Amino acid sequence: MSFNYEEISHNEAKDLLRQWRENNERRGKEVLELWDVVLREDVNKLGNEKHVILEQVIYAALDCHMYCIAMLCLVMLSNEFPGSLRVMKLKAAVLEAEEKFDEALELLDNIIKVDETNSAARKRRIAILKAQGYIVEAIKELVDYLKKFMSDVEAWQELCNLYLQVQDYSRAVFCAEELLLHQPHSHLHHQRLADIRYTMGGIENLELAKLYYCQSVKLNPDNMRSLLGLYLTTTNLLNHYKSSGNSGKRKEVWKLCHWAQSKATKQTQPTSQLSQMMLSLAITE
Amino acid sequence: MPELLLDPNIRFWVFLPIVIITFLVGIVRHYVSLILSSQKKIELIQVQDSQVMIRARLLRENGKYLPRQSFAMRRHWFNNEETGYFKVQKRAAASQNPMTDPGMMTDMLKGNLTNVLPMIVIGGWINWMFSGFLTTKVPFPLTLRFKPMLQRGVELAYLDASWVSSASWYFLNVFGLRTIYALVLGENNAADQSKIMQEQMSGAAMAMPPDPKAAFKAEWEALEITEHKWALANVEADLLQSNTE
Repeated sequence: MSFNYEEISHNEAKDLLRQWRENNERRGKEVLELWDVVLREDVNKLGNEKHVILEQVIYAALDCHMYCIAMLCLVMLSNEFPGSLRVMKLKAAVLEAEEKFDEALELLDNIIKVDETNSAARKRRIAILKAQGYIVEAIKELVDYLKKFMSDVEAWQELCNLYLQVQDYSRAVFCAEELLLHQPHSHLHHQRLADIRYTMGGIENLELAKLYYCQSVKLNPDNMRSLLGLYLTTTNLLNHYKSSGNSGKRKEVWKLCHWAQSKATKQTQPTSQLSQMMLSLAITE
Repeated sequence: MPELLLDPNIRFWVFLPIVIITFLVGIVRHYVSLILSSQKKIELIQVQDSQVMIRARLLRENGKYLPRQSFAMRRHWFNNEETGYFKVQKRAAASQNPMTDPGMMTDMLKGNLTNVLPMIVIGGWINWMFSGFLTTKVPFPLTLRFKPMLQRGVELAYLDASWVSSASWYFLNVFGLRTIYALVLGENNAADQSKIMQEQMSGAAMAMPPDPKAAFKAEWEALEITEHKWALANVEADLLQSNTE
């Protein structure tokens, strides 16, 4: 979607910005252009939405590395609300974007000191640690955070990713399971858990991975990654059973393997490269 | 009985002034309470408690998606006799006496200042200023039981019940202007007195903050009797079946 920014009116710009805000679209570039062409001249005509829009513009500017615009808006806001926590949070974001991490951390600490329950500030602290590459410290902080805010889904997801980065798979599994508890109907969460279990290896984990891949495919039959994962898992399991000689289970798994393969083939009919590859990987029974 | 005729001056000097006064008082009350209102400070420990409760509830509801071992591990963490979260965390029982909590006291004072005081003062003043007038008549007949409600301040035994006295007209306004306030001030305004009246009725029950200790105990019990039923046991068969259909 492109707009002719020269012709857009003040009200239209406001409506657009509001729409993006409500839909959680960042659209940094577009916001900045709107700001440049339409809104900058008469900020005070924005009325009620002035401060929200300024906030939106600050984030847009940070996304596009336009620090002077962000600073300008920030000064406007902090003149109006000196000592506001929300403005302080924005200031910390600006500092963080400029990679002045120590100052940002200090500011965030101040926010937390004033308002203990400010979870956004705590999360930013962890994000800063992660940005600096201190993964272990970030994990420690995040675990502390989760002790207090236990039903924060995003935080569990982030912790899962961090554990994956340091290859602590069993803990990552714990986090992935926690995600599953919070959103049991998301096929992606099932798939994530299965991915980790598959990576861990071992018969038990592979069995579980198989089940979670199945559930994921059941929830969303078009999930190609899960299909492929199911296929790989079952192939691996076949190898295991072949050596241990459990014929009953082998039969079941083989059926599943075959099913996953045919399903994947069906989905990639136009470009059958994948199915060719899978066929070449397949174990002849 | 001959029809009563009201002096038109009553309309201009009693009926309309009461409407306007109650309306304006409501507006003023809204802004005063905005000035006086203090943001409720939430304690970290409260947030933590509520989030723990959510997590325990989710474990009960969605635990079937986890393998038995993972489920048991989590339940152990919550419920274990020695080190379980619900056993170890000792919360003080909810403060028995709200009077001991200074924050609660100022809140109550502010509430009284903006709600009860103007109600008494304005109501009393209107009663004194406009006492003894009949202001209007409801356009339908009413039974005698409505007389004390609609004819406060005018005790005439033979007067038709559908006449409304000035003091009653004031009360009708107090309760009836809600939608007008919502129109002028937006939703959730503080001008509406009838809401405050309701709150005062049920206030005793509402003012008590939920007691974390009791809630923990309830959740502990619920979790203790939860059985793990592995939801993914048949998923393979389901998949294969759906294929053949």
